[in-house]
Amino acid sequence: MLALVVLLLSHLAAASLTITIPTSNLLPNPHALPASTHATLTTLPASNGDDHLLTAPLSHISTFAFRDIPVQQGSYLLDIRSSEYIFAPYRVDIAADGSVLGVWETFRGNPWDNRGAEKYVVDVAGKKQSDVVVEAKLLGRRGFFEERASFSPMSLLKNPMLLLAVAALGLTFVDPEMRAEFEEQSRSSALTGATGNAMAGGNFDLAGWMAGTSPGPMANAEPAAGGATGRDSGAATRRRG
Amino acid sequence: MRLQAALFLAACVSPVAAIFRDEVNHIDFHHALLGAPSPDSTFFVKPSSASNASLLYTISDKSILGAINPRDGALLWRQDLSRSDAATGGASLLRTSDGNNAVVGAAGQHISSWTAQDGKLIWENQFKDGVVADVELLELEEASKTSGPRDSLALVAGESVGFVRRLDGATGSVKWEHKDESGDVAFQVSSSPTEVFYISLQSALLKGHKVKVTVLDPVTGRQIRQHVLNSENDIATPESVLFVGANVASPLIAWADKAQKALKVNIIGTKQVQTINIENASGHEIRQITIHAPHKLNSLPHFLVHYVTDNGAWAEVYHVDLKSAAITRAYSLPYLQGQSVVATSNIDANVYFTRITESEAVVVSSASHGILGRWNIEDSPKERALYAVSEAISKGKSVVVRAAILRESGAWDLIRNGQTEWVRHEGLIDAVAATWIEPQIQESLAHELEVEGHESLVGAYTHRVKRHIRDLEHLPEWLKNLPQRIISSVLADEVTNLDSFGLAKSVIIATKAGRLYALNTAEQGAVAWSVQVEETSQWDVKSIVTRPGEATIYVSDGSSATVNVSTGEVTSRSAPKNVKLQSIISFDSETTIGVQEDGSLATTFEKSEELLVTTSADGRVLGWSGRDNKSPAWEFVPPSGQKVIHATSRPAHDPVASIGKVLGDRSVLYKYLNSNLALVTAVNEKDHTAGFYLLDGVSGNVLHATTHDSVDTTQPIASVMSENWFAYSFFGDVLDESSAKGYQLVVSELYESSIPNDRGPLDAAGNYSSIHGNSGDSLPLPHVVSQSFVIPEPISHMAVTQTRQGITTRQLICTLPESSSIIGIPRPVLDPRRPVDRDPTSAEAEEGLFRYAPLLEFDGKWYITHARDVSGIKTVLSQPTLLESTSVLFAFGGDVFGTRATPSQAFDVLGKSFNKLQLVLTVVALTGGVAFLAPMVRKKQVNLLWKAN
Repeated sequence: MLALVVLLLSHLAAASLTITIPTSNLLPNPHALPASTHATLTTLPASNGDDHLLTAPLSHISTFAFRDIPVQQGSYLLDIRSSEYIFAPYRVDIAADGSVLGVWETFRGNPWDNRGAEKYVVDVAGKKQSDVVVEAKLLGRRGFFEERASFSPMSLLKNPMLLLAVAALGLTFVDPEMRAEFEEQSRSSALTGATGNAMAGGNFDLAGWMAGTSPGPMANAEPAAGGATGRDSGAATRRRG
Repeated sequence: MRLQAALFLAACVSPVAAIFRDEVNHIDFHHALLGAPSPDSTFFVKPSSASNASLLYTISDKSILGAINPRDGALLWRQDLSRSDAATGGASLLRTSDGNNAVVGAAGQHISSWTAQDGKLIWENQFKDGVVADVELLELEEASKTSGPRDSLALVAGESVGFVRRLDGATGSVKWEHKDESGDVAFQVSSSPTEVFYISLQSALLKGHKVKVTVLDPVTGRQIRQHVLNSENDIATPESVLFVGANVASPLIAWADKAQKALKVNIIGTKQVQTINIENASGHEIRQITIHAPHKLNSLPHFLVHYVTDNGAWAEVYHVDLKSAAITRAYSLPYLQGQSVVATSNIDANVYFTRITESEAVVVSSASHGILGRWNIEDSPKERALYAVSEAISKGKSVVVRAAILRESGAWDLIRNGQTEWVRHEGLIDAVAATWIEPQIQESLAHELEVEGHESLVGAYTHRVKRHIRDLEHLPEWLKNLPQRIISSVLADEVTNLDSFGLAKSVIIATKAGRLYALNTAEQGAVAWSVQVEETSQWDVKSIVTRPGEATIYVSDGSSATVNVSTGEVTSRSAPKNVKLQSIISFDSETTIGVQEDGSLATTFEKSEELLVTTSADGRVLGWSGRDNKSPAWEFVPPSGQKVIHATSRPAHDPVASIGKVLGDRSVLYKYLNSNLALVTAVNEKDHTAGFYLLDGVSGNVLHATTHDSVDTTQPIASVMSENWFAYSFFGDVLDESSAKGYQLVVSELYESSIPNDRGPLDAAGNYSSIHGNSGDSLPLPHVVSQSFVIPEPISHMAVTQTRQGITTRQLICTLPESSSIIGIPRPVLDPRRPVDRDPTSAEAEEGLFRYAPLLEFDGKWYITHARDVSGIKTVLSQPTLLESTSVLFAFGGDVFGTRATPSQAFDVLGKSFNKLQLVLTVVALTGGVAFLAPMVRKKQVNLLWKAN
C-alpha cells in the first residue's frame, strides 16, 4: 500500500501538459486523425543524459497528454507529428520542479526568444496549476496527390481555334449577303491562288521536294528548263490549291 | 503567411512530380508490418457492440500492437509499445473482449489501453516496480451486463515481489493492489465471474515448483483463501505449465508429468488435481502438448488437448462438470500424419474447434464429434504452421470458419473455406540488408554481344546472323501473342509496359531473423521466394553481392552464403572466421574485403587504382591505398573530444551530366568534381558539438570543415553526398539570442572557383594529383557555398535518386521517422545560391533561383509515401532504370516500401492520361473525314477551273 502512495505522490509532483485539438475548417473532425499522430517535446539533453525526448500518443478524445514531465529544467519544442496536417510548433518552458512555466507559439526559422501568442503562463502569485491544457493550432493540410486533368467536352469547346471556326461558320449561315460576298471572294482568291502559284512558285513545297514528288525551287524559277517538268509542277501546285 | 509564401514559391519553381491518386498501388507498394504475432495475444474480436464484422488484433514479438482487417489483410492501425528507455523483459501481451471497444496491451513496464476501432489511446500506466507479467480483463458478472469499459487485472513481477493490481477501465488508475512478498515467481492471473486468482510458483524444497493459488476478492483485493498444489515433481520451470485458463466459467491450470504419460489438471479455485492419462496410440514421442479452451465468459466449460509428435498429431476433447468439477473425456480427433494446428472459436456459448492440417480444415463442435464443416485446402504452403486463431460464423445449420495461421517463416495467412485469402509476410520486418538483383536473361544477351565485340569482322557477322536465326524460333510465339498484346496495351492501365525498361527489378532482402526474401517490384512487392539461411535471431548481414544468377551474403562473423537468385536455393556456404567485421566492401563480384572494428582490413588486396576509407571503433578515419595496404596510407583524427560516427561518399553510380553550372548571364561556374571525396561526421557528446569534414580519399587532406554547436548527438544525424554537393541534418538547440531551436538541414555545393568562367589553378593543368604537387598541397580547395534550412522534422536517413545519365534533377530522399514517411526534396529548392534577403535578379530567376527562406516546410507533393504510414525505415536504395526520367526506390528496415521516383516528371514516358484508344479513334475519324471530303473538294476544284475558263 505504501508503494501506491508513493506512486500517487510522484504523480502529483510532476505536472502534466495536455494539448487538445480543436475542430476547424481544415479539420472538421479531429477524431479522423490517424492513430500514428503524436506529439513530441524536444530539447538538448542535459549532461546527466536524462530523458529529453518525450512522446505522447493521440488519445480517443483527440488530445495529447504528457504525464509525468521529468524534472529537467528548460525550454522545450513541442511539435505535433502528422504527415497530412501541419500544426504550429509551441515553446514549452518547464521549471526545475517539473511544472509548466509557460506555453507560447513559436516560429520555425526564427529566434527562439521570438515568442508568439501566449497559450499559458504560470500565475506567479497564485498556486501552481498541475494540469496545463492548451489548444493546438492547425496551420494547413498537405495535398499529397497531383490532380489529373480530366477530359471534358467543355474544355474542347473552349479551344480558341474551334471558337473562331464556329464563329465564322455561324456568320456565313446567318447572313446570306455576307455569305455571297465570302463565296465570291473565295472564288477569286482560289483562282488567283491557283494561277499565282503556278506562275510565281512562291510557296515552295518543301515536303514534296524532299519526297521527290515536286521539283525544287530552281525548277520553278527557270520555267524554260524542260516543258514537261514545268507542266508537271503546275499540275502539282494546282492540285494543292 | 510566411509558410504559405514559402510553399507557393517552392511550388512555382520546382517541377514537383507528385504521384497521381490512380498510380497508388500501381507504381508503389508497401508491406505494413507488425512482426510475428504472439500466440496468446492474437484474437478475432468485434471492435464495438454495434459492429457485425470482427477485426484481427495482435501484438507482435516486436511489441507492435495492431489491428488487421480479416477481409484483405490490410493493416488498420498499429502502435509501437516498445520503449527504448524501459526495462525490457516480459512478453508483450494483449487482451480484448468482444464489443468493448478497448484493447489492453502491455510491454515491459508499460500497460496501455487503446480504442479497438481506430487505435487511439484511452489510458496508459507505468509500473516502475516491475514488468507486466500477465494481464486479464476482468469479466465480473455484474460488469459484463453493461457495455462500459472493463477493468483489467495486471500482474506486475518485480524482483522477488509480485503485485496484482486492478486497473480502472476508464482511467487506468489502480483500484486496489495485492502485494506478494513471499519471493514466489509471479506467474499468472486469472479470474472467474466471482473471484480473482493469483497464481504464483513457489520454489519447492529440493527442486521444481509448487503451484500456489491465491484467491482474491475482485472488489476489494482482499485475500480470501490460499492453497498450494503439489506439482514440484512435474514443474521444473515456469515453462512446464501448459495452460492457465483465462476468463472462462471454469478456469483451469494444466501441466504434464515428465514422462508425458499423464496430464494434471486443476480447476482453479479447487484443491484437487485431476490426472488424465495420455493415451499415446501413435507410439511416437510427444513433442508438444497444447490446451485450447474458449476465452469467453459464458462459453461451455469444454477444452481440447492437442498432442503433437514428430510425424503427426491428435487431440482429445474434455468436458468439465461445473458442479462436481469432474473432468470427463468427450471424444477425440484422430491421429493424422503431418502437421496440424487447432484453434478455438465461439458462437455465443457454443465452442467450436477448428483443426487445420496440410490438406484440409475441419470444424467440430465441442459438444459432439460430428464434423460441421470440412474444406480441402488448395495450394497450402508446406511450411510448418505454428499456431492458428479462428472465428466461426453459423450459416444455417453449418458453420463457416476463417482461421489466421502463423507459419514458421513468419508468413501469416488467412484461410477461409479452404482458400487462402491473403498472406502477410511478417518476417520481412527488421531487414538488415538488401540489394537489387540483375535478371539472368539480359546477362546472356550481354555475353553474346561481348563475344561479337571480340571476334573478327566476319566471325562477328556470322555469329550475329546465327543469333538472329536462333531468335526466329520465338517468332511464332511472338506472333501468337501479338493480338493479345495490342489489345492489352490499349486497355492496360499503363500506356507502355515499362517492365522491359528496367522497372521490374527484383530485390533480395536479408532479415535479422536469418531469412532471405526476394521481392518483385513489378508485382507490387510480391514475395518470389523466401528461405531460412541461418537459424539465428541476430543475423548481422553486412553486404550482399550479386552476380548474374546468384547472390552472396556476407555476415559480420566472416561467413558467407551463396544463393540462386531465381529459386533461393543455397548453393554454397563458407564457415565463420574468428573475426568481427564492421563492414564488407566489394570492388567487383570477386573481391570482397572485410573491415574490422578497429578500421583495419581483414585481408589485403591488390588493386592499384582503388582506395578505401574506413572508420574505426575508437572514432578515427583510415585511408588505405590499393597499391600497398599493409598499413593505412593516412589517418584522420578529428579534433579532441570528437568521435567519428559516420562516413559517406558519393554513390558508386553517380554520373555527372554537366561539369559546370550555366548562370543567368551565360557564364559558367565549374563544379568541383572529385570521385574520391568522403564526408565524415564526428560528434562530441559532452559539449554537444558536431563536426562535418570533407576529406580527399587519396591524401586524407581536409578539403572543408564545419562545426556546429548545441547539437543533440543522441538524435539522428544523417548525411549524404552526390555530384558536387553534400547535405546533412541534425537537431540544433539555442546558442545565443538570435538562434533558433529545431531540426536543421545544411546543403553545401562545391565549385572550383568562386568566379564564373574560372577553373582556378586547375585551368591550365593537364593532370593533377592529390599527393604530388608543384607547391606542396597541390589539390586546390573547393569553393564551398552553403545554406542551412530549418526543417519541421528529424531526418533519420538520406539518399539521392540515381538516374542513368544524371541529366534528370536529383531528389534528396529523406526518411522522416516521426511522421512515418519518406520525402524527396527537389534539388532546386536546396540550391545554396538562393539569394538571401532580396528578391532574385532576372538573371538569377532565369537560373531558377528564388528567394531564400530559413524555414523549409515540406510540401505535400514531395511525399513519395503520400498518405501511407511507412514506419521503421532504416535504409533507402535507389537504382537507375533504362528510362532517364525514372529511378526506382526501395526502402527497408521496418516496413518495406518501393516506388518509382521521377524528379523531373516522367518526360520520356507517356502517362496514364494519354489515351491510346482516343488517339486511334481520332486518327480513324480524321482518315474517314479526309476520305469523305477529298472527292468533294477535288470535284469542286475541277468545277472551279472549268468555270473560270
